[in-house]
Amino acid sequence: MNPKPWGDTAVVGKPVSRIDAYERLSGAAIYSLDVLLPDMLHAAILRCPHAHAIVKKVDASAALAMPGVRAVLTDADQEARIPWHPDAQGKPVSRLFDPHCRCEGEEVAAVAAETPQQAADALRRIRVEYETRPFVIEMEAAHRAGATQVHDGGNYVYPPGTGDTERGDVAKGFAEADVVLEETYRTSCEIHTTMEVHGSVAKWDGKRLTVWNTTQGVFDDQAALAAALKMPLSDVRVIGHYMGGGFGSKLNLGKYTVIAALFARKTGRPVKLFLSREETFLSVGNRPAHTMKLKAGVRKDGTLTALELNGIGTVGAYTDWTTVGYQVADLYLCPNVRVKELQVYTHAGQSRPFRAPGFPQCSWALEQMMDALAEKIGMDPVEFRLKNIAAVSQAEENKPYTSTGFAECLREGARVFGWRQARERKKGDGAWVRGAGMAGGMWGYAGGPPSTAIVRLYADGSVNLNIGASDLGTGTKTVMAMVVAEELGVPLDRIQIESADTATTQYTGASGGSKTVMVDSPAVRAAALEVKAALVQMAAGQLQAAASGLSLVNGEIVSADSPDKRVKVQDLKTLKEQQVVVGVGRRGPNPAGKVIRPFAAQFAEVEVNTRTGEMRVLRMAAAHDSGRVMNRLTYENQVFGGMTMGIGLAMTEQRILDRETGKMVNANWHDYKIPTMKDAPADMTCVAIDPHDHECDTTSTKGLGEPAMVPTAAAVANAFYHATGVRMTSAPITPAEAIAALSKRRKG
Amino acid sequence: MLSQFAYRKAGSVQEAIELSSRPGARILAGGSDLLGCLRDGVFSADRIVSISGLKELKGVAATAGGGMRIGALATLAEIAGHPRLRQAYPALAQAAAAAASPQLRNQGTIGGNLCQRPRCWYFRGDFPCARKGGDTCYAIAGENQLHCIFGGEGCYMVHPSDTAPALLALDAKVRIQGRKGARTIPLASFFVLPSVDPRRENALAPGELLTEILLDPPEPGARGLYRKVRERGAFDFALVGAAIVLAISEGTVKKARVALSGVAPVPWRSEEAEAALAGKKLDQQAIAAAAAAAVKDAEPLSGNGYKIPLVRGMVEDALSALAG
Repeated sequence: MNPKPWGDTAVVGKPVSRIDAYERLSGAAIYSLDVLLPDMLHAAILRCPHAHAIVKKVDASAALAMPGVRAVLTDADQEARIPWHPDAQGKPVSRLFDPHCRCEGEEVAAVAAETPQQAADALRRIRVEYETRPFVIEMEAAHRAGATQVHDGGNYVYPPGTGDTERGDVAKGFAEADVVLEETYRTSCEIHTTMEVHGSVAKWDGKRLTVWNTTQGVFDDQAALAAALKMPLSDVRVIGHYMGGGFGSKLNLGKYTVIAALFARKTGRPVKLFLSREETFLSVGNRPAHTMKLKAGVRKDGTLTALELNGIGTVGAYTDWTTVGYQVADLYLCPNVRVKELQVYTHAGQSRPFRAPGFPQCSWALEQMMDALAEKIGMDPVEFRLKNIAAVSQAEENKPYTSTGFAECLREGARVFGWRQARERKKGDGAWVRGAGMAGGMWGYAGGPPSTAIVRLYADGSVNLNIGASDLGTGTKTVMAMVVAEELGVPLDRIQIESADTATTQYTGASGGSKTVMVDSPAVRAAALEVKAALVQMAAGQLQAAASGLSLVNGEIVSADSPDKRVKVQDLKTLKEQQVVVGVGRRGPNPAGKVIRPFAAQFAEVEVNTRTGEMRVLRMAAAHDSGRVMNRLTYENQVFGGMTMGIGLAMTEQRILDRETGKMVNANWHDYKIPTMKDAPADMTCVAIDPHDHECDTTSTKGLGEPAMVPTAAAVANAFYHATGVRMTSAPITPAEAIAALSKRRKG
Repeated sequence: MLSQFAYRKAGSVQEAIELSSRPGARILAGGSDLLGCLRDGVFSADRIVSISGLKELKGVAATAGGGMRIGALATLAEIAGHPRLRQAYPALAQAAAAAASPQLRNQGTIGGNLCQRPRCWYFRGDFPCARKGGDTCYAIAGENQLHCIFGGEGCYMVHPSDTAPALLALDAKVRIQGRKGARTIPLASFFVLPSVDPRRENALAPGELLTEILLDPPEPGARGLYRKVRERGAFDFALVGAAIVLAISEGTVKKARVALSGVAPVPWRSEEAEAALAGKKLDQQAIAAAAAAAVKDAEPLSGNGYKIPLVRGMVEDALSALAG
């Protein structure tokens, strides 16, 4: 039976600094990148410099003869012929070092040497003969008849039509509309650029393999690694204690992990293999570019009558899933909706999930369209959205949401931001003009079982919390410790955490999809409650009182009826005898027949220089319904971080491939521009909308990490429009794009 | 990953010149550009000659004639914060402050800033381009949105320095020492267009060292600024920039210097814009005429046509600020 939902909480929801802040800031925290083992070798990967090429010959003899070089791996090594990159049917189409290189950066060979420098020097001595082939890097070109093929079956990842959805009568819907608008929107390809680069350290002890991996999910990696090396799960241990960011790019097992493991087995020594910053721009995923043709119909009273999306996206060279249409089908009440999406292969780096995959892209289109529709019918953008709030999930067979705070997000966000005043403020008559814009959004995923957590309470009342989840830097460990503190009244500094180790912690899915808190905090709560129940049972015996009348308060078990009947936890006789109480908690199922979704509204005020196209984001406000706020501080961190990342999508970030060679020209942290502190406004606020959702899970939580960046870019674009009267349909809005658009108007 | 090299620390300018005269030797000052180039394999070096200990190349000081002498090892942070430079040569102080990031400004030197290698992504990337001895400029048919609209020929990079246009607008001179002695030349003749030699950016011969920068006393009624347009708020080179120095007396522009960054393979003096201002009142009409003149002969590539309205708008914006 589910425990009662929390009412007022003593610890949960308060602003609490990370319990591992000192370790992270002082450098004491050992990230996988920091792992140094005795006798360790260093490995490096040679990558294909061409967008499309066949490796005809690899000659590593000179490299092998260099000082310090201990091993080389190529496709000629039988042990390295490991299948990779499954297609849409699950059939692998490539290998670890496949001679058919379908994008720049594919792995061709690898070296292990005594020092990283020796490994890098040796790479330069490997001679590779390539036969270059024609390539296609533009998704529109890949879609055209007769295009260069990325795979033998053609350039469609799935047959056209796969996943398309339609409801109502779209033609009738447009006929009933007073205003119909159509526009094509584009977003650019973004790179995750995590703070900690991707890589692994591998070590064998007999037949057992241990891997220190910078990963979002140790258990997913354990399973994938066991499958790749044909080993039982019990022989593979993956450890990921500290982690420097993933954003989705560390959900998949990387080739680097397998290569490190192969080298370690071959040489009998531990092997460290971390990618350079530049390699991570090519080889560990991206948010693919998207083109979205959106048509929308609305009545003068603000009722949406029809929405139609035609999207095309590219997964790069290998199969992934890159659709964007969910919000078109779900966010706003609309009876007639058609979503058609094409996913194509191109000779470019494979996409991977990236913080709310598909959603910020869709928001860029949908929320700018909503802005344009509102203007056409003379309605305030917030009012227009409020007119079209859905209580049921139209994309999920009209099942009700467990809760929706979307309307409240819009109202509260507008109030906190000062929306009306911002919209009415004078825009300015000099070069710099001001404007305010907003956007709504949601995230289309909810976590569920399985997850197992263990809470151990020691004889002195201190606690060991054992969770399988990875803390990506989001504060997971802190939040989970707060759940234990809430239930057991144990101070946070008396809770020790063991996490993200397949050998010593329990199974949970990877930290992705904004689901870690909603999946693992109920398991932790259940484990803590089991401990609490055991303590109360012990006290009942010792105090000669009924367990039902006892409760745990400030480290003491107290009888409600006779307050003199009380015993401190560490004075429990049974605990002294056992020395430990163990609670095991499991995540229960999600409610049947209902849909769990977080919602958001964000607001931005910008100023634009009409002479130069420069834009400054002056301030932002966010209102999020992500269920209960577990930690006000990490909540704000997520929202402000998400909005900053959204500013990157809106204004600065784009992968640029050279049209002549297919090679990425900005594969570094200088030319690929993530926002700096100077690009994020100093004035950011956020307000939490808590719908008191007691159905979604036993901690009343929904996801936050991803929705935090869903509406941001569209809000900025809408503010740009409000300031200038020019609609920017392509992201990012760089000064170059902006001045080109503004000067066109100046002439016209 | 850096390849191996020998490291020598010069004890004197003369020793630095001797040590760096042979092929394969490179001068190390702040290192913020050199080490990146070596790490990325843009070029190689088998000997690194550090000049960071040479006291005679440091410091910013007034000269007897009322001008300024800036040692090549003066850091960008030092220049950005120097009270006399901020007051009398604001274009230079602002340009130094606009460069890179605080950490890089603490480390990077003015000499290095003038001598830095191009930031063109083909030059920095894995492309055998003309500047690296190859036979083509990849920007011509490729991704040229950041490339030049003036002075391109065989190579279409833009000069990356913020301080160079400011010093150009201030008619600065540079002092160069080599085996054969020292020479002082106007900064304007320090930079080399690709039509002259696409493989080098400046007039330094092997073994020659840029040792100091000399500024004349400011003109009476001088005012100036550096305006930089960039894609993000910090840690970014100029998309385009303008250093403008005007001498105004009795409401009339007596002398104008307009030097642009981000538009040409060298810091680009716009004599057309200067001519449009000289002898005029700095009013909206003169400003608009100068802004239009600044881009009159621009020759954009396929992807950088936006630089024409951008430069025009930026010059207009910068001149309006000076007029205000």
